[in-house]
Amino acid sequence: MSHPKILVADDDSTIRRFIVTLLADRGYEIHEAVDGEQAFKVAESVKPDLMLLDLIMPYRDGFDVLYDLKHDPATSEIPIIIMSVKDREEEIVKGLNMGAEDYVVKPFNSLELVARVRKILERENRRAG
Amino acid sequence: MSEILIRALWILGGVLFFLSIYIIANKALRETTERRVAWMRGELEPKVLEYLNGKGERLGAVLPPLGRTERRVVEEVLLDNGRFLKGNARDRITAACEDLGYVRDRTRQLKSSRWWRRAEAAEKLGTMKSPKATAELIALMRDEMPEVRMRAARALGQLETRSSVKPLIGTLQDPNRWSALRIADILAGMGPEAADELVESFATLPAKARVAAVDCLGRVKSHRAAGLLIKLLSDPDRDLRARAAHSLGLIGDPNFTPDLQRALKDPAWPVRAMAAKALGKLGRPEAVAPLFDLLKDREWWVRINAAEGLRSMGDRGLAALVNAIDSEDRYARHAAVATLEGAGVLDQYVEKLVSADEQEREAALTLIRKIVAAERTDHLMQAASRHAQEKVREQLARLLAPGDVKVQVKA
Repeated sequence: MSHPKILVADDDSTIRRFIVTLLADRGYEIHEAVDGEQAFKVAESVKPDLMLLDLIMPYRDGFDVLYDLKHDPATSEIPIIIMSVKDREEEIVKGLNMGAEDYVVKPFNSLELVARVRKILERENRRAG
Repeated sequence: MSEILIRALWILGGVLFFLSIYIIANKALRETTERRVAWMRGELEPKVLEYLNGKGERLGAVLPPLGRTERRVVEEVLLDNGRFLKGNARDRITAACEDLGYVRDRTRQLKSSRWWRRAEAAEKLGTMKSPKATAELIALMRDEMPEVRMRAARALGQLETRSSVKPLIGTLQDPNRWSALRIADILAGMGPEAADELVESFATLPAKARVAAVDCLGRVKSHRAAGLLIKLLSDPDRDLRARAAHSLGLIGDPNFTPDLQRALKDPAWPVRAMAAKALGKLGRPEAVAPLFDLLKDREWWVRINAAEGLRSMGDRGLAALVNAIDSEDRYARHAAVATLEGAGVLDQYVEKLVSADEQEREAALTLIRKIVAAERTDHLMQAASRHAQEKVREQLARLLAPGDVKVQVKA
């Protein structure tokens, strides 16, 4: 059985490396993107089973990427978890209204992040039958 | 003479030559060091990340013996990750900083004769979050340098321990040495612990610090502060009354509605304005009527906050704002139109001018005629000239033409 593919899009290399290690240790196949432009391209080519998307990124912000992914039939089904910083709840609401599946607030609890990822992937699995 | 000039030129050329060599060598050395540090980070970071993700009891046990530069690299990796983590991984960062001696080293650095070293050490100890540094950081709050004092305060705030709250609140007693606003910021970041302590110490605070403390209680959203804040709605100081109303709105308990409704009648306009804003956040239907009445207030801020409050209340509030457009009171009409414009509600109605649904079209026509009658047509004029749909532009042009107004507004 193949490992679920997860795309981690965050311009902060420290955060990206932490999440990559965290999820790779749990057997997921990880892909990375360092900005919004790359996030969209990788999502289109890899078709990940789940995407972790930072909202503040250079070139194209997370909202822009989220909008395009949700309006492209080829990528609209990819579940997306948005990542935002504390005290910007309005961004989370906006992201959820745009079609994001869930959210994570920085600073985040790594075990909680893993639980959210697992829950969404299990639900998608059940949906696929 | 010319010989002296030649010699001077030689000396100058020599100096420039050696200076260039020095700059090139220095740059090469710096780049080599940076590359070496980056390589070390590449080697050490995976081990640190594995530890943070739960592998092993102690980071020291999985790392090779560390030289001076490697120790610096590991500390940097730990603190970089400390920026965005909480929970178990965050606790492991603190444990590693204690285990590897970083807390001890930085605590020693707090006694450095150079102030920027002390400031840097305080900042790093804050990120390490080790309660072992609490006493030394409290002592550092008496440092002669304001920057060092403030970094020590911020570090104490990051520790989030009960013992670090008291000295921070103590600084509010001394407004000459501390910025009450910055301290309130730090306290607000500490959560309920800080709120409880603030409520207990409130009576002992000077007037200036009380306003900052009340703001902080609202930002922490502590229900345990509700009793104090409600009491402060009757305080002789109008600033305190206004900030208390604002903080009650931030806490957001609908049970505060009756107290805030009473504050709408306060003689001081800042209190009325803040109470209106807070009631909007609480969203109770019984607040719609008093906020509607407040649209007639003679103070612009109060009217705008009342309108904003209504807007925050969803459909009921928006309906009240639409009703206010043909109010007898000119102030109320203007506040309502300005808020509906700002909230994008007016644009939604403009779109409905060409809706297939007759009821929607009628509702849009009625609202826009009311706005024309209220003589607040700037926004509609812009839409009439710039709207993407030709039919909408034509409709608006007709409605804005003199003589179309079918709604009578009492002057």
